[in-house]
Amino acid sequence: MSNHLKYNYIIELSNVDTIYEGEKIPAIRDVNLKIKKGEFLCVIGPNGAGKTTLLETINGLLKHTRGKVNIFGKEIRKFGSSIRKEVGYVPQGFSVSSLMPFLVKDVILMGRFGKIGLFKSASDEDYLKAKEAVKLVEIDGLLKKPIGKLSGGQLQKVMVARALAKDPKILLLDEPFSSLDFKASAEISERISFLHEKKNLTTLMVIHNIPSIPKRCKRIVLINEGMVIQDGPVNEVLNSGSLKFAYKVRK
Amino acid sequence: MIILPYQIILTVVIGACLAGIACSLIGTFIVRMKLSSLGFCMSHAAFAGSALGLVLHINPLSMAILFSIAVALFLGPLVEKAKLHADVILGIMFSLMLSLGLIFLNFAPETAMSSTAMGILWGSILGMNTSDIINLTILTSLIIVLMILFSKEFKAIMFSRKMAEASGINTRPFYYLLLFLTGITVSLSLKLVGGLLVFALIVNPTSIVCQFSYNIKKIILFSPLCGIVCCLMGILLSFLFDFPVGSSIAIFSSIFFGIAVIFSPKRKRG
Repeated sequence: MSNHLKYNYIIELSNVDTIYEGEKIPAIRDVNLKIKKGEFLCVIGPNGAGKTTLLETINGLLKHTRGKVNIFGKEIRKFGSSIRKEVGYVPQGFSVSSLMPFLVKDVILMGRFGKIGLFKSASDEDYLKAKEAVKLVEIDGLLKKPIGKLSGGQLQKVMVARALAKDPKILLLDEPFSSLDFKASAEISERISFLHEKKNLTTLMVIHNIPSIPKRCKRIVLINEGMVIQDGPVNEVLNSGSLKFAYKVRK
Repeated sequence: MIILPYQIILTVVIGACLAGIACSLIGTFIVRMKLSSLGFCMSHAAFAGSALGLVLHINPLSMAILFSIAVALFLGPLVEKAKLHADVILGIMFSLMLSLGLIFLNFAPETAMSSTAMGILWGSILGMNTSDIINLTILTSLIIVLMILFSKEFKAIMFSRKMAEASGINTRPFYYLLLFLTGITVSLSLKLVGGLLVFALIVNPTSIVCQFSYNIKKIILFSPLCGIVCCLMGILLSFLFDFPVGSSIAIFSSIFFGIAVIFSPKRKRG
């Protein structure tokens, strides 16, 4: 990522469509999105609106079928793997088999494997970063547990720690609070806000529960039927008619 | 009970140990990456290729490798994008490869049918020779070196291929490397275990070890040891009762697996 200073927007999507294989209608269409370094942005929208597709198109796990996706000023299509080394990603509802033979500490360190590179083993710095992430998410007590033995909420925390262990420049979170209780949601939200403030970490969070939107979030993107129907400051979007339209609220 | 010269026994034992290590090491990755159905078809493709080699008087080993790699190259991309369900692959490709193998054997000369062909089907103690041992030694060393060199990448992919991609690993080369190694491993183990049952040696040892540990490092370390035990015990059964080697290994490892499931701490409460 040598050209970090050469771009105006850390994430830039221009006229982007993503169509799933075997489908005719794009899951997201004509999306234009520009995000500056250090922004904290939430993506909201009803079920099936295309929020997860948007996140996976941004980090290149899903190949877009039209338009341009540039991260750090580089095309995700060409530089996907090297870009993802700097992007932390927490997927939605991630689950593992109860017999999965990995310990929590292994899974968290794995977050750094892409960054470490080929033919190298984890260094002291890698272990230190993983340890810092564990401390931040407060899962010290889980480290030696098999990953398949965790509850949904615990697994969610581990996946957040895994994403943070990478010391990413961009953090993509897909409904990170969906399996967490109220207290754990508030704690993780606070930690992510803390990281955003401390490291100026560009954060993109897909969220379902509107009251859970962290205070540090200053911008909301509202998606409906694959299209961005509103993009602006939090209060403006939340008080708009578009929100009621997207969620089909009649009154 | 068969009484064989010391040198043949030594060749068989060394061959069994090497096949046990190679198959079960590859098996650890195949099972965890949920590629069992693909590997199963590849092993039967190796059998079909070997049978065709016998009919055409071409080196059966080369044909086995060719067939199994061809299946990997054809099915690999389809499985990779989850366009084909495991059951579909098994239902169509397994029966196709098995049918082709049996048809090819039907055309094999009568003399070959009596010995080599049966060896390809069920495995044979006398099938192994010095060149097989050399090939298996090279293959086993190659697998071990590659697994050490790319242990991070393989571990990440075993946990979740999608998350490995998300962490910045280009997983495709590793996926095809594993399929390529599987093709060669099943082809080289064919003479000892036989085309119909070689997959038991890939799946069973790692499945046995998985009953006792959640630690992938221990599973990778102990699966080859378990593979060696399964092979040696299979050969002993074969010596004692004159069973085909492949069947003996499959029966012993399956019983071993059953016992492992019963005594697995993973299934105990409290």
